[in-house]
Amino acid sequence: MALDPNFTTDGGDWICAKCHVPLEQIKVQALYMHSAFDVILPRCPSCGLTLIPQSLAEGKMAEVEALLEDK
Amino acid sequence: MLEQSQLHVIEARCTQEAAPRCRTACPLDMDVRAFLESLAAGKIRDARKILERHLPLPGVMSAVCDHPCENACLRRDLGGGLAVSSLEKFCMHAVPSQTRPIIRPPKPQKLAVLGAGLAGLVAAFDISRKGFAVTVFHEGDAGEKLRSDFPSLGEAALAEELRSLEKFHVSFCPASLDEALLARCLEEYAAVFVDASACDLAPSRDGLDASTLLWKDKICCGGWTSLTPTGARYASASSQAGDGRRAGITLQRIMTGVSLVAAREGENRENRLHTPLDGITPLPRIVPEGDSYTEEEARREADRCIRCSCMQCVKECPFLQKYKEFPRVYARKLYNNASVVRGTRTANVIMNGCALCGQCEVICPEHFSMADLCLESRRDAVERDVMPASAHEFALEDMAQASGPECAFLLEDPAVSPSGGHAPAMFFPGCQLAASRPGQVLAMYRYLRENLPGGASLYSSCCGIPAYWAGRETLFNEHAETLRRDWESCGKPEILAACSSCMTALKKALPEATVTALWTRLDKLMSDSFESTAPKDMSVQDPCGARFDEEWRRAVRSLAVKAGIHVEEPLRSGPESACCGYGGLVWNAQPDVADAMAKKRAGEFSLPVLTSCIMCHDRFASETESWHLFDILPQTAQEGHLEASAPGLSARRAGRAALKEAALEEFLGEKPSVRHDDEPVLLRISEEVRQSMERRYILRQDAVEAVAGIEKTRARFLNRENGHFLGSWRPRNVTFWVEYTADADGGFTLVKAWCHRMVVAGAIQPSEKVILEDKVHA
Repeated sequence: MALDPNFTTDGGDWICAKCHVPLEQIKVQALYMHSAFDVILPRCPSCGLTLIPQSLAEGKMAEVEALLEDK
Repeated sequence: MLEQSQLHVIEARCTQEAAPRCRTACPLDMDVRAFLESLAAGKIRDARKILERHLPLPGVMSAVCDHPCENACLRRDLGGGLAVSSLEKFCMHAVPSQTRPIIRPPKPQKLAVLGAGLAGLVAAFDISRKGFAVTVFHEGDAGEKLRSDFPSLGEAALAEELRSLEKFHVSFCPASLDEALLARCLEEYAAVFVDASACDLAPSRDGLDASTLLWKDKICCGGWTSLTPTGARYASASSQAGDGRRAGITLQRIMTGVSLVAAREGENRENRLHTPLDGITPLPRIVPEGDSYTEEEARREADRCIRCSCMQCVKECPFLQKYKEFPRVYARKLYNNASVVRGTRTANVIMNGCALCGQCEVICPEHFSMADLCLESRRDAVERDVMPASAHEFALEDMAQASGPECAFLLEDPAVSPSGGHAPAMFFPGCQLAASRPGQVLAMYRYLRENLPGGASLYSSCCGIPAYWAGRETLFNEHAETLRRDWESCGKPEILAACSSCMTALKKALPEATVTALWTRLDKLMSDSFESTAPKDMSVQDPCGARFDEEWRRAVRSLAVKAGIHVEEPLRSGPESACCGYGGLVWNAQPDVADAMAKKRAGEFSLPVLTSCIMCHDRFASETESWHLFDILPQTAQEGHLEASAPGLSARRAGRAALKEAALEEFLGEKPSVRHDDEPVLLRISEEVRQSMERRYILRQDAVEAVAGIEKTRARFLNRENGHFLGSWRPRNVTFWVEYTADADGGFTLVKAWCHRMVVAGAIQPSEKVILEDKVHA
């Protein structure tokens, strides 16, 4: 069970509204029910604010959540 | 956790896997249904494989069988039993042999068979296929006995089967079948079979153990003739072959030193399979135009098979249909699921997909209860802390809101409470009626206060059924204590419940209390007929909670008649009624199943539907014209809103809070301190976005708090293409994402919202794990 590691935004030109810098694909950790995964997500290189696109939240992430809940 | 022995008792109640009547009638355990199914599908080779797998000496048996299956066939009175025998003959002629059994060197033990009747040859066939050498002693030539007993047997088929036996180490030896031969065989062979049709030494059937056909020592017998109802003796091929097979099992056990009786229960098959015959059209037997069936005729005849099967509960229930099995299999899967220590619990979806409505238990001829099984599984999962958190979290949060300070209240009748008295009755509307119809609840309370001797109190809270359904016994018991404390503080009044689930929960939580359906009391109070704008002809829905509550159902119909409504009973009404999809929290755990339930049930109403449970009403409202009893009663009809759709999740919460404010203001003169609709930011949500939030269990309040929180911290993203902002908020075990625009007037417009449960560093501030039990009574 693994998340495909690299997820970009669902389209659009997103920047961090606080730091005014474009987002970069950066590796972060996703945690759920005592399991951790490395996943590459759009992130502000300055403040670390990380974006989880809808397609990921309702797709792969939901699948993995369900799998872990049944573990 | 369920013990294996308990599982077997539960499993046995589902007869779907039991053999159909054709098979139980066959002494050779022929899988007639599968054979016919293959033929009907045009798979003649597969059909022949089935014949060869079940029938000994298939060339002989298919030619001479007296087919007791045809008399046992449930088609018998619906056009005539299936012509199994003719179809077997067709199949044997249409395609060549489909199996090539391996011939191995024989094992050391040898069997002697005295008499080459059908029983003797079947015993020889079965034993030789197990790898033992067999000597068949016979008088005359080897095929003589069969030829005389079954004159219709073709010479070619007989010769073929005898040749085939010889290939499998069966040797034929002409001899006089007398005592001397028997004595010699006892010395030289590991076991002996005496064919009663060909050898006079055999005793009568009556003296033998029917389950083993053991005569004495290491000798078995079989092959006796049968009696017609008029007393004539004849050779029944199926009976004789059955003897040969049964004795063959005993003989093999004698030769290998195994218990003769252990684990043979399966050989005595009873007719346990329940097959409903309603709706099956009579179809006459297909008579072949020529001497035997053509392929087309055979296919049509085989297709008359009704494929005996129970599935009565499955036909009615979208949940049971979803996983394409039947209760017996579900029981096994749930049992295995509970046994998983490490690994995936694949049956979690099964236990949480049941509405716990109890319909299957009523419909099932053996009263198999999926509800008991699923509820027990949920309790077990909760106890072992392996219940998926997401399954019931929203519903339990809803319970916490309904029974928390924002919504719950206990109002003693202001006419009697100032003097320390208590009203003898307490109106308990239930959290969903309060959520959906706060105005009507209040109107009904006014009526009850004025019309019940001694007045009435009003108690708005959750009955605890969500905790019960979720398998959270501790939470349910704690909630029951709160209910008891409040009920006792009002002088233990009779409780008038307007929701059948509340009735169920309150009777469990407060067994010492008198809980009466509001409708029963109203029916007594309102003796005359009254005007109503409702349609004059309506279908009636019995809520699953009132399945066994005849008084409830009678009162509902009586009130409908007083309103001038002619009530039509839909399919499966009363105790057999189907759930709307609210039961068992399936609406939370598996909304697709719940929606299928609502759709299926609504489709069974030919007229606008009259409901007595607000959740039935609200869940049917998007499918069909739906009326709640409050919409026809004169006390409440004017307060109702006859919108086609039911309120959404956020509106329900607001409705409960509004009821509390309005009741306290009207009866105690309390001004609301904080208006419940005061929101920290102005957030515009279109109907389309609202509906998409509903499907994701995102409340308006969640979105408002998210935007307010994000705007406060300014931790947000900006899409430079369209100016949309995006940010996340994690108030509890869920992270909410909101995409919105900032409007010119300082307000915001929500574009999209989604959520997930996983925690990603930098995407949210991980909050402390919220423990559900603590939250409800916080």
